[in-house]
Amino acid sequence: MEDTKSAVMNQVRQEAAMTNARQLIEKVNQHCFERCVPKPGASLSSGETQCYTQCMEKYMAAWNIVSTTYIKRIQQESAKGAGGGVF
Amino acid sequence: MDQPTAQLDSNLDLSKLTDRDKQELQQFLANEGQKARIQQTVHSLTDVCWKKCVTGTIRSNKLDSSEASCAANCVDRFMDANFTVIKHLERMRVSP
Repeated sequence: MEDTKSAVMNQVRQEAAMTNARQLIEKVNQHCFERCVPKPGASLSSGETQCYTQCMEKYMAAWNIVSTTYIKRIQQESAKGAGGGVF
Repeated sequence: MDQPTAQLDSNLDLSKLTDRDKQELQQFLANEGQKARIQQTVHSLTDVCWKKCVTGTIRSNKLDSSEASCAANCVDRFMDANFTVIKHLERMRVSP
């Protein structure tokens, strides 16, 4: 049985990962549904499904670029010491 | 998964923690909190920049080079704009 401290840490990590995943799924669905299923039919066509897979991977690629750029930027800004405490 | 997340496992007895553990946990929680805020911002920025930069039909699972540079520019310009707001508010505060 792990100690209390590690148990708390693990639970917090798990919940953070879950929140992050849920958020991503929600956004992917929102954007890709709009893009890939403009007129919902009786079922998802194979074209729509294929579009969905591509769209999802593309969205995650965009997420990664945004993440890298944003983190680089806030590191630069905090190195400058400007905007103290804005982030 | 649908459980409210503010509740710690009731088997955990936090009163057993030593002061050192408590301090370490506090630091850990502060770090996790910051990470979560950054991730949250990345989600909303991706949302904004996707709408601006990926406008065509989805034909591939990769961003093309103009979409990729648009996304990076989008983040940087958003930050510029953000700082402009802060600076302007600061000026208004000093000389209303």
